Amino acid sequence: MTEVREDPRLDRLVDLVVRLASGDLAARLEPSSARDAVDAVITGINLLADELEEMYQDLEQRVAERTAALDQAHLDLERMALSDSLTGLANRTLLNDRIQQAVARAERGAQPPAVLLLDLDEFKTINDSLGHGAGDAVLVEVARRLTSVIRDTDTVARLGGDEFAILMPDATEEQALRVAQRALKALRLPVTVGDRAVWALASIGLRFGSHSQTAEILLRDADTAMYAAKARGRGNIQVFQPAMHSTALARMQVATELGAALAAGQLSLHYQPIVELATGEIIGAEALVRWLHPKRGQIIPAEFISVAEDSGLIVKIGHWGLRTAIGQLAAWARQFPLSPGFRLHVNLSPFEVRRPGLSEHIERTLEHHDVSPSRLTLEIAETGLMTGDTNGVETLLRLQALGISIEVDDFGTGHSSISSLRQLAADSVKLDESLIVDIASDPQQRQFVGAILQLIESVGLGLGVEGVETAAQLDELQALGCRYGQGYYFSPAVTVEVMTHLLLSRAILGNRTGRPGAPGRQGNRPSGRSNGKC
Amino acid sequence: MPTRRAAQPIRWLQALGLASDAEAVNDLGPATVALDRDGLVRLHWANGTKITESAAREAVAAVNHICAGQRHPMLVDMTGTASVTRPARAVFAEPSAASTIALLGGSAVDRVIANFILGVSTVPVPTRFFHRRGRGVGLAAGRPA
Repeated sequence: MTEVREDPRLDRLVDLVVRLASGDLAARLEPSSARDAVDAVITGINLLADELEEMYQDLEQRVAERTAALDQAHLDLERMALSDSLTGLANRTLLNDRIQQAVARAERGAQPPAVLLLDLDEFKTINDSLGHGAGDAVLVEVARRLTSVIRDTDTVARLGGDEFAILMPDATEEQALRVAQRALKALRLPVTVGDRAVWALASIGLRFGSHSQTAEILLRDADTAMYAAKARGRGNIQVFQPAMHSTALARMQVATELGAALAAGQLSLHYQPIVELATGEIIGAEALVRWLHPKRGQIIPAEFISVAEDSGLIVKIGHWGLRTAIGQLAAWARQFPLSPGFRLHVNLSPFEVRRPGLSEHIERTLEHHDVSPSRLTLEIAETGLMTGDTNGVETLLRLQALGISIEVDDFGTGHSSISSLRQLAADSVKLDESLIVDIASDPQQRQFVGAILQLIESVGLGLGVEGVETAAQLDELQALGCRYGQGYYFSPAVTVEVMTHLLLSRAILGNRTGRPGAPGRQGNRPSGRSNGKC
Repeated sequence: MPTRRAAQPIRWLQALGLASDAEAVNDLGPATVALDRDGLVRLHWANGTKITESAAREAVAAVNHICAGQRHPMLVDMTGTASVTRPARAVFAEPSAASTIALLGGSAVDRVIANFILGVSTVPVPTRFFHRRGRGVGLAAGRPA
């Protein structure tokens, strides 16, 4: 026993155990060459220490791995909470946060941020006609294109549906406008979905920030500006002006009341005669919607049609207008023989044309009222025909195949090229009134209109004209070879009762013997255009 | 891996009086592997060797090579080995050409190391430690000591 205690290896062994116990798991003791029992204990402790160290390192590694996995899960959760799952863009929460950061930076001396709000024009039509899968593909492509036009410091966010936003921290007005224009340009190219090309144009509202503004206010104002852009014909940029607020509120009011107005029977159709210029005989009529508001009285379509388009009500109003007009056509046919070439013109919104089921709806309505399709002309604005939307073109071709005539309305206000005129799915063209307003006083304008008429004739399209107000205009149009027209010179849009009377009496309009004539002189012409498109 | 398919006597085999029976030998530096005419594989670790994972892998590969697809009992002389690492012990837990294994040692240290191999790893074939003064050689060779 005494010998064992005196063995110096035992002291070193005790030290080894102490070091190991204190956490120094790398501590080891070299056994002696004796390889006796003491060395065996040393070796055993060394091996146990190996085990302990390995297990400890293994544990440490596992803890590190689990911690990393947990951190990643936190990051994933955060990303999910702050990003849009479809496009991977920032969501509204993250955008709000970044706007606040940008505002805070502006308070420390940087430029205030600019916020752009983009809403796709007619995205609902893509979803409705091609399905949500196609709609999602379009949204992803839009996200990609928007991301490609921004600066490194900007944020693109999807706020939901077809609404996107771009935050530009520390931005000058020039920079913000440049990005907005680049975004518009990027979205002008078609998006290919399967074998179809669709357009995802956007209206953009732009709000330049100022100090101490909340994200909520900036977004609200950008939204207001975006609606102003939509009201101005879509596919454009509007910078927020304080006056836009009242306009926005008024539009909201109109949208709310319009839905109720349709159900309450406040909408009605008036009819504007279309006459043969040479004789003044009525050869057709254009149905025009009127809203008799219980408090505000007669509201002109210009005040509510764009609201109806934005809210989607245009489809319901359009269906109602078609049913009512075709029903009236049937009623006239029952009451008296209509002249063989008499056609009723009904306006179609581009929204309606692009929605599936329109041709079936019209066909059913015609059958229901036993009205020949050849009695119906559908008018669609030139801008509505030129979007290149394949669904819309197919619908128009189906309607033509039924025997319904398609007329390009407001011709001269859009961007039709000579070549595209030949490709339009249309039978006739109606010149916009802006083209003829100076025709009697401006020789150049007369020459210009003459050239357009020749062009239209050369591509085999029929021709009408609207906005004829004076005998002088009528003379010029006749001299140029124009055969049909409508306007205050002949008659404003009149109630169904007056129109019935005109048809029944086979009235000659335009006072061919002693101009100007009646009943076109009756009533006051409203300021601005009164042709409501329903 | 250096391999010699010639019967060349090795020091420890000579010491055991079995060298003359060797028909194939692998000399791996710290380890030497031989297959004798009785079908016994002999793996010898040099004195003072710290058996690492790579050394263990080389030795097992040499054993498999020398057995050429056959299974043989194996005698491992680990007398005087300094230590064996944990990853090396894991290598010994992997299946090899050895059908049974006798670990041969000459000291308490050898015994401790051998029992770490046996206790910490789950060896795939019957394996026991024998003191070199005992009858390990005979048992491993499948014959009486």
